[in-house]
This record gives sequence, C-alpha cells and structure tokens, in this order.
Amino acid sequence: MSHGQRGRRGGGNRPWRPQIGERGKNVVEGLNENSPVIQSFRKFASELDAKHDRHERLVKQSRDVTIESKRIIFLLHSIDKESKREAVLAEAQTRIASLNTTIFKEIAKELQGQDQYQYLRAVSPGIQEYIEAVTFMFYIRDGKLPHWDELQPSLSYGEEGQINLIPIEFFLGVGDLTGELMRCCIQSLGTGSTKSCYEACSFVRDIYIGFMSVGHTGHREFQRKLNVLKQSLTKMEMACYTLAVRGNEMPKHMLADVFSTGEVNDGADEGFCD
Amino acid sequence: MASNMSAIFASFQQHINVEQDLREEIRQVNKDIDQKAREIQTTLQIIHQEGGLTKIADCCALTRKLFLDVKTGFSKLAVLIPEDQYYRFHDHWRFTMQRLAFLASLTVYLESGQLAMIEDVAQIVGVTSKREDGFHIDLEDYLMGLLQLASELARFAVNSVTNGDYKRPLHVSQFVAELNSGFRLLNLKNDGLRKRFDALKYDVKKIEEIVYDLSIRGLKSEEKSEDKSGASSTS
Repeated sequence: MSHGQRGRRGGGNRPWRPQIGERGKNVVEGLNENSPVIQSFRKFASELDAKHDRHERLVKQSRDVTIESKRIIFLLHSIDKESKREAVLAEAQTRIASLNTTIFKEIAKELQGQDQYQYLRAVSPGIQEYIEAVTFMFYIRDGKLPHWDELQPSLSYGEEGQINLIPIEFFLGVGDLTGELMRCCIQSLGTGSTKSCYEACSFVRDIYIGFMSVGHTGHREFQRKLNVLKQSLTKMEMACYTLAVRGNEMPKHMLADVFSTGEVNDGADEGFCD
Repeated sequence: MASNMSAIFASFQQHINVEQDLREEIRQVNKDIDQKAREIQTTLQIIHQEGGLTKIADCCALTRKLFLDVKTGFSKLAVLIPEDQYYRFHDHWRFTMQRLAFLASLTVYLESGQLAMIEDVAQIVGVTSKREDGFHIDLEDYLMGLLQLASELARFAVNSVTNGDYKRPLHVSQFVAELNSGFRLLNLKNDGLRKRFDALKYDVKKIEEIVYDLSIRGLKSEEKSEDKSGASSTS
C-alpha cells in the first residue's frame, strides 16, 4: 500500500495523508509472517469475515421476506367483495405458510447456535414486514390481533433452530399494520361497506390505546411508529365522521372520492426505499 | 377496548418491565466495573510522569490487583445475562469492555513487551474469549482496545524520551508496526472499528517521527544495524 501511494504523492489535490515511512516499511517487510501476532490476526480476519458474511446473507434473506410480505399484503388488499374473500384468504395463508417453511427456515438455520440479537439489525426489517402481513391476515380472518406467542410455533423448527419473535419487533410490525388498516378503511368506503370501515377504525383505536398504555420502551423506533399510528387513526376517524354526517346525502361510491382528495400522500411509513 | 387486545398489551407491558428491571441491574453492575476501569487508567498514567519509568513494575502489580475487582464485577454481570442474549445488552458494557481491553493489553505490554492475545485479555478481566463459552469479550471490542493501546503507546514514546529513555520508542515502534500490519489483514466494514483503525496511521507516524528525531541526533542506541538514514519520508 505504501508503495503505491508513494508514486502518486504530491501530484494532484488529494488531502495530505501521513505515509508509512522508510523505517516503518523496513519493519513491515521484515515482519515474521509466522509471528504469533500475525497469526492471530489471520484468525481474527476469518472470524470477522464469517460474521460479516453471515450478516450479509441475513440481510438478503430478510429482503426476500420483505418483498414476499408486501405482496401478501397487496393480495389481501384485493378483497373488495365478500365472494373473493375466501379464495384470497386461502392464498394468503398458503403463501405465509410457504414463507415459514422456506426463507424463514433458512434464516433459522443461519441463526442456529448464534446470538440472534447480534444479527437483529439484519433480519429486523423482514420480520417486521412479515408481522405486518400475518397480523393483517389475522385481522381479515378473525378480526383480532394475535398474541406473538401464537405466531412463534410457525417459526420454530425444532432441531433446526428457531427464530425468536421479540415482542418489540412484533409491535413495530403491528404499528405498520395500522397503516394498512387505514388504507383498507378508506378503500371500503369506496365499495360501500360502511361496517368494515367502522370496524377497522375501532380496531386501530384499540391498538392506539394499547400503544399509549405501554410506557417508555427505550426504543426510538417505537415512538416514531406511535406518531404515524396517530396520523392514520385521525384519518380514519375523519372518514367515519364523513360517513356519519354525509353518508345519507350521496351515493356511497362518491364518498371515497370525497375522501381520497383530502388524503395526503403518506408513503412515509412504508419504507419503500429499502 | 377489546379484552383480547388489552391482554396482549398487558403482557407486552410486563415484558418491558422485566427487561427494564434487568437493564437497570446491568447498569448498576457496569457502573462499578467502569469505576474500576477508570481507577486502573489513572494508575497507569504514572508511566507518563517524570520518574515514572522506574515505577512501572509496582504500577503493574497494583493494576493487577485492581483487575481482580473487575473480575468480580464481570462474574456478577455474567449471571444477569440469559444465555444467547449477550448482544441484547451489549451496548451497556461495550465501551467499558473496550477500555478494559486497552488497559489489560497495556499492562501486559508494560510487563513483557508482548501483545496481549484476546485469551490473555479475557483472562485478566475475567471473561471468556469465545461466545460459546459464556460471557465473553467481543472480538471487535478487543480490537478497539488494541487501537487505543497504539495511541497510548505513541504518547508513551514521546514521554519516555522526555524522561530520558531513548530505547523505548524503538521498541514501541516495532510493536506498533506489527500491530499495524496485523490490522491490515482484516477486511473491515465501514463501521466504528474501521474509523478507529484509520487513526492508527497517525500513531504510527508519530512514533516514527520520534525515532527519526532520535536517530538524526545520534541519540538512538545502535544495537541493531539500522540503515544509516532510518529516516521518515514524511518531511
């Protein structure tokens, strides 16, 4: 390295950097490759590489989970009439199940014998998106929020390891869910299903109350999610208000138009940038 | 509010409470360890003082004694951490650990002139050197400690000249050069360790300048056949 830099030195406007001097060069060249220091650094290098590689693989797998989860959510949004409901739900469940047995299984294998928290940052985006998809499915199917312990079994693979669902991750996913529910609520205005609009609104209100009741979590992201959640809720409450006040004045399908004009772009909670 | 919903949030709240109590305990224990680490650091500052060079042996002995308290501290900390959750709480003691890795390796250097291996450091502070074996020292924390050591040795080289020891910088130079070439073997990501490593060359340079100053004035003892200039090219 010092050789290469020497040639270019002085020419051009690169900021000045100290070089390894002659003496340093002699020392470096005279180093015993077999010295214990160098040998243990070789060991450190492979250890660090292994860690970085695993991290990168997990990031990639997590991204795959994110993509598939977004598709499942999109699929669930396509329920616009009761007749489609069963078919879509069935497909969503199959796809969730196949996520569980493919990518998540690989992630679990990757994490087996490791400290999951060490790689949390790599897998967290995927897991949150997955939670969002699964809880969305649960909402449409049962109208309930599942406990995270209910989801745990499908991410446990016995001998082959498991992915521990960390409660805070679960709730960050639930925070994102409210954004989907808001979309769902506005959409159902359009299809004239006022009942599901009110239902979604009160469901999100319950979640909001829940989030508020939980004290300081020590997690920065959590506070941010709470703000987004509040915005979604406000929007939904306004939708319900419009429905109550003007619901009898005009055809149902026009209500959605009234609303969508007032709706601001709120892609912020989606994280499409990743 | 639906009962199932409040039950879920209640159990979340409970989870958070448990976690925060645990974190509070960890903070307390870590505070004690950190206090000891500062004590050790203060003790070792003697090497920079006038006449400190003669007291190195005593100073190391005292440091070793203080490290015993650190050991006790870590054994208390280790029992608090559930298995495979080291990295959940790592941030609490990360900087303490880095500082201790630095102090332990400095002590070993002063005693023997050798680089303390991760196993040595782990042994001195009373943890293991591998994750599988229980509460351990993270490799990156150890490496951070070594980088701090290089900066401290650069300072040590300056002050030993001031205090009349002209041989020390030569040894420090050799030592840090080896450390430097070791670090160059690592593929560092663009993280904290990388940034800290980038500062290592300044320490190397500083030490070389000292060696240069010594050799140009003939203050360097010529026990080894250095080439006549031996000069730094950084003029």
